[in-house]
Amino acid sequence: MTSGVRTDRATAVTANALGGGEVVFLASSSPSAWTARFEDAAIFDSDVAAEAALSAAAASDFKVVDAYLIALDNSAGVWTPLSLRERIRALGPTTEPQLGPQARGGRVVEALQAADSAARSSGRIRLIRRR
Amino acid sequence: MYAYDGLDRSLVRDRVDEFRDQVARRLAGSLSEEQFKPLRLMNGLYLQLHGYMLRVAIPYGVLSSAKLRALAHVARRWDRGYGHFTTRQNLQFHWVKLSETPDILAYLAEHDLHAIQTSGNCIRNTTTDPFAGAARDEADDPRVWCEVIRQWSTLHPEFSYLPRKFKIAVTASAKDRAAIKAHDIGLRLGRDAEGRLVFEVLVGGGLGRTPHIGALVKKDLPADRLLSFLTAILRVYNREGRRDNLYKARIKILVSELGLAAFAEKVEQEWAALDPTEIDILGTELARIRGQFALAKLDPRPAVSRGFEAARTREDFARFARNNIAPHKVQGYGIVTISLKGIGDTPGDCTADQMEAIADLAESYSQSEIRVTHAQNLVLPNVALDDALALFEGLRAIGLASANINLASDIIACPGLDYCALANARAIPIAQAIARRFEDPIFEEAVGELQVKISGCINACGHHHLGHIGILGVDKKGEEYYQLTLGGSGAEDAAIGAVLGPAVAAGDVADAVEALARRYLEVRQPEERFLDTVRRLGPTPFKAAVYEHADTV
Ligand code: SF4
Repeated sequence: MTSGVRTDRATAVTANALGGGEVVFLASSSPSAWTARFEDAAIFDSDVAAEAALSAAAASDFKVVDAYLIALDNSAGVWTPLSLRERIRALGPTTEPQLGPQARGGRVVEALQAADSAARSSGRIRLIRRR
Repeated sequence: MYAYDGLDRSLVRDRVDEFRDQVARRLAGSLSEEQFKPLRLMNGLYLQLHGYMLRVAIPYGVLSSAKLRALAHVARRWDRGYGHFTTRQNLQFHWVKLSETPDILAYLAEHDLHAIQTSGNCIRNTTTDPFAGAARDEADDPRVWCEVIRQWSTLHPEFSYLPRKFKIAVTASAKDRAAIKAHDIGLRLGRDAEGRLVFEVLVGGGLGRTPHIGALVKKDLPADRLLSFLTAILRVYNREGRRDNLYKARIKILVSELGLAAFAEKVEQEWAALDPTEIDILGTELARIRGQFALAKLDPRPAVSRGFEAARTREDFARFARNNIAPHKVQGYGIVTISLKGIGDTPGDCTADQMEAIADLAESYSQSEIRVTHAQNLVLPNVALDDALALFEGLRAIGLASANINLASDIIACPGLDYCALANARAIPIAQAIARRFEDPIFEEAVGELQVKISGCINACGHHHLGHIGILGVDKKGEEYYQLTLGGSGAEDAAIGAVLGPAVAAGDVADAVEALARRYLEVRQPEERFLDTVRRLGPTPFKAAVYEHADTV
């Protein structure tokens, strides 16, 4: 989460890994890399930049399914997915805190868990479905 | 219990080999997701929020101890140690890997289990009364007829690409424990004046976006003509069902657009033109299937079990006996329902350890037989009352002795937004919050029969339309809200619940349900169930109870 962008909206790219099915995000570490840790996700300041990165990632050896862009929110000082659906994907089931990425804990996981109220009344999330 | 023959086994194995090859080609990149998706769905493999979900078929909800142990092994080795029983009497694993699915299916095939026809526009798993073969009030064992339907519908070449999915449910009792009126076809088996087995055939029931209660299309169908009559219905549907609009493709829409009489006329014409000798089941084959379901010898026991009566002086066991044990057709036995709805539990979830322990208990006390109910519980159908206390203690040791069957905390809930890619809102935490309000068993029993059913979206997997109190998750500007319905029923008095008023916020749903229950206690007449009071008084007193405080939109 090292983006220098300081608006309160941004975009990330998510998908599920083809073989394992786990939720992944385009990573900030290098172009075309995917990560299962939301805290390591690349933060794009526009959908256009996110789309371009997603196109470039098609050449990656790591195969994913159902890639799409998600809207992020920074109102609590940490980037978190705006929609509850995407926070649950990034964390795991809210009813099984020992399962999914949330099990490892940490500052970003806690921020995602606390983000419940941050997204309240913030308008419908923009889920851009891609093939 | 029905045992697979060589044909069943080779069919399932061939399918596993075929899918292994398809998965390899997908992982190597020679099949695109677009090409592969229908293939994986045909094998019960869905992509959900956190990964792949495998839906394993449990034909008419009947399991042996050996099969339940096999499912426990899959949960432990390839999943995260648990599975989720669904309202279709199936089991879902939420955390499997695509790359490992062929191994899982191969392992399941060794135990005569598979995931065929758990997805797609085909005839899905036929469901039935979980008390089948043990219920006092049944005209025949409905499992026999479910197996007849299973054999006929498995990979049926004509009915593998219907306009939409197709669900059949069968009961042989006046009391409907299989929600037959909420199915594309509902079958009620009974006897005519001469004592012959006949079906009442209901058609066009279904939930989802446009809920319908099934309507009677044929009375007194001779039981041995079942398959030709089903074929006639399916042919009319296959030919005339709407393929142009996903939301109008179920048979319920065809029946309501044509009108019941016109639809029935078409079916009769089709039926008259069929050659029954090609389709209807032969008496010898029926006898062979029937033989496999013959009740293993249950010797009648004394009408009064001394041990059982003595144990009932214990309050906890008495409560369990009252709520979870139903009368059995053989004297001295009971049908025990195991609640998967303890306070704080996820409705329908069962851990691998629990599955194995239940398999052991079934082996000791229920002839190794287990049933899955559409209410997401399990049933041990053949328990001697003398053994009931030992079974209760065994269940208590694994945290499954909740004495709440058909009470307010015995909630049906779909996976909702915690797992499901189609969800608008969560269902499980709502169920858990409601159950906590009824934690005091004295209060819960005072309220009595109260069926709460929750779906995370309009697809209605949680049967919310049929809840005495139904709860539907909706998305209002990115927030979870819940629409309440009142007065639904999935039983013989089936009805679609009516919307009570504006949707309430997630944090207010448990308050609303508790308020409804308390209002019922204030206004009920003696012997009235919650549903009866709602039907007598209508929504007004209940509306007032809910909307006094709730945050609504
Ligand atoms: S009702 Fe909707 S949210 Fe619930 S399991 Fe079915 S599709 Fe998913």
